[in-house]
Amino acid sequence: MDSTPTRTQVIAEHKRSGGRIAAVFPVHYSRALFRAFNILPVEVWGGGRTGNAGDAHLQAYTCSVVRGVLSAHLTGMLRDAELYCVPHTCDSLQGLGSLFLDLVDPGRPVIPIYLPRDEGPAAVAFMASELRAIYDRLAELTGSRPSDADLQRAIDRECEADSVLAAMLELQGRLALPARAFYAAARSREYLPAEQFAAAGRRLLETTVRREEPAGVPILLSGIVPEPEEILDQLDAAGASIVADDMACCGRRNYAMSTNSDPFGRMAEQILGGPPDSTRGVAVERRLAHLLSLASARRVRAAVFYEVKFCEPEAFYLPQLRRGLEEAGIKTLALEVDISERPSHQIATRIEALLETLA
Amino acid sequence: MSLANQLRYHLNVSIVGNSVLRLQRWQGEWQMSRPGSWQNAHIAPPVAVAPRLKELISRHYLKGQYAHLGRKVAWVTSGAPVEFLVALGYFVLYPENHAAVCGIRRMSESLCTAAEDAGYSPDLCSYARTDIGSVLTGKTPVGKVPRPDVLVCCTNICQTVLFWYRVLAHHFNVPLIVIDTPFLYTEATERAVAYVKAQLEDAVIVAERVAGRSLGFDKLKQATRYSRQACELWMKIMECGQHRPAPITAFDEFFHMAPIVEMRGEAFTVDYYAALLAELEQRKANNIGAVTVESKRLLWDNLPVWHRVRWLSEMLAERQVALVASTYTNAWGELAHLVDPERPMESAATVYLHPILNRGTGHKLKTMRRMVDDYQADGVILHSDRSCKPYSIGQIGQRNRLADELGAPALLLEADHNDPRAFSNEQVATRLSAFLELLEK
Repeated sequence: MDSTPTRTQVIAEHKRSGGRIAAVFPVHYSRALFRAFNILPVEVWGGGRTGNAGDAHLQAYTCSVVRGVLSAHLTGMLRDAELYCVPHTCDSLQGLGSLFLDLVDPGRPVIPIYLPRDEGPAAVAFMASELRAIYDRLAELTGSRPSDADLQRAIDRECEADSVLAAMLELQGRLALPARAFYAAARSREYLPAEQFAAAGRRLLETTVRREEPAGVPILLSGIVPEPEEILDQLDAAGASIVADDMACCGRRNYAMSTNSDPFGRMAEQILGGPPDSTRGVAVERRLAHLLSLASARRVRAAVFYEVKFCEPEAFYLPQLRRGLEEAGIKTLALEVDISERPSHQIATRIEALLETLA
Repeated sequence: MSLANQLRYHLNVSIVGNSVLRLQRWQGEWQMSRPGSWQNAHIAPPVAVAPRLKELISRHYLKGQYAHLGRKVAWVTSGAPVEFLVALGYFVLYPENHAAVCGIRRMSESLCTAAEDAGYSPDLCSYARTDIGSVLTGKTPVGKVPRPDVLVCCTNICQTVLFWYRVLAHHFNVPLIVIDTPFLYTEATERAVAYVKAQLEDAVIVAERVAGRSLGFDKLKQATRYSRQACELWMKIMECGQHRPAPITAFDEFFHMAPIVEMRGEAFTVDYYAALLAELEQRKANNIGAVTVESKRLLWDNLPVWHRVRWLSEMLAERQVALVASTYTNAWGELAHLVDPERPMESAATVYLHPILNRGTGHKLKTMRRMVDDYQADGVILHSDRSCKPYSIGQIGQRNRLADELGAPALLLEADHNDPRAFSNEQVATRLSAFLELLEK
């Protein structure tokens, strides 16, 4: 996906064509709902050079994702966004949404999305009603009311893009690409319109050389977001091949397909039927079973948990997940980072040590 | 419960245990009544009903120790709807309360360490680490904690409890009832209330199955009635703090709140709070302040620092400062009017959506503004609690608004409710001293 346009280019192009931009924060929401209103959701995961302006409003024990997002807002990096969408991912993102609504002037509408922590019929019904309420809010903001057929078409486009992402993840490690390049391609899903992503992804799958076996030690990468990207270089340099992804920004959004004739029910079922994710509060057992299944299918020899410091949804499950994987003969390594800082040399050393044990 | 077990339970709890506890209470009352038994010149003697509180809490944990003889045990989060469990005859245990007891008894540090040794991050909530440490080591200051038959987790206080209870469910391999309460950025919607009600109805089905009995509607209404009465009394108790001098401080409330948290839905809780209120009214009439010389009055925001409650209370009292209210204790009374014993399920869905921790930062600021007025507070201490993000995020803006808009000096105090390692005596003392000097000007 060498010719993939940058975030800035995509935003400029979308605005030029009369569309609007929504800055969307992690993790789960419905892209289709926004696209049906010709609003392009562009995700902000808090990484990069956002500075520390957010520290004026957030305590130091708030995770770097949330501090980074707020810093990006305060320093004008999100100025192209005409609205913000804050999924209720955890206590810290809940706090960020609330700050924007009550204490820090966002300068634009803020739409929070509550994500049910259950998957039963009541949760699906609530999620669908939540999406309906967001539809009404977007209709109010844009003055348009897409029909159910419009919504279904938007969902179809996202499903197509999701299936391309799924194919990329399936072949991860066997595509002759550096990890950084693979993730740049996969994560372009965070800002590319679905149809562009699908086309670019298909092109990548067609043109990239496929190996019979991964070049390095096959590993599973778990966590929230692989930032800063140097971590991916460090893994490559140490001789690891990421063959299985369990990142919240990628593999955990490999959403389920739904055929519900009600578009809101369909979007709700897709999100709640996605891979087990700690931020959705699914049971530890389901998380572990999912990781074991991924590991078995891709012949993973080690799992690297690349975690954001202060991320409670991740940290609570870590001991059980590590124990379960270790019992299945899969080595594990937990790394904790502040995504606003470059990964330390110590991290590289720990990755090397892990891989040496597998040599 | 078999007849033999019933007899053993009643022998150990109702006869021997209760008698010993009653004796201890009388001893406590007698000791308190002796002239010269209270030595602190800055703090008034404890209320006379204090030994009764100790008796209540001890009896609660005693019942837990013998629960295995026939009662089903539910571990629940502090903000969870408990009335249906009480009506089904469950012994209800609150791991958060138990963790707080560990904090007060200076056990939380070693228990947190045990959890960390098992792989849990020191950045996790210290209640959770204390509890997990206790589960893993079996160590507790209350004798014995009964194993749960069911876990009930309500997300209206934080998302942390969900992950924590998932861990407990994995460890104990027992059913987990999740009551997911959508966060109220603004006001509750009908669909949010309907969602919670649907989950409550599902929860009852699971709880009935585990208990092996059906929920009696009259019993549910009775438990709900007791809950409402206790919450109303608790609110009146806290409102006594509006009097000058305040006959009760938030430090006292942190201890007296135990029954409203872990014994809601019970008649004895209502009786206890009625007695406490009567005594406080008497103190008001006699102008007896909880701090002997009350010059300044403060509001507290967030959880207590359990391991330093006494230290903080003595430090403030020495400076003639009374902590007259707290948003934390207030949370257990302010929703009393929403509790409707005639519509227990419907009203529970509304009530349990509305705790302060399930509402936005703007609502908390509004609550603090109102409490500063109602309690004539001269300033606010906002405990920036490393272990409680939902309570703490927003405090920086809230502090600034309180100072700018109300002219109420406000201090952000960095600490942790249950992990003493995240508390620096010297640093806190210095910051508090500087803040109090500012108040005195």
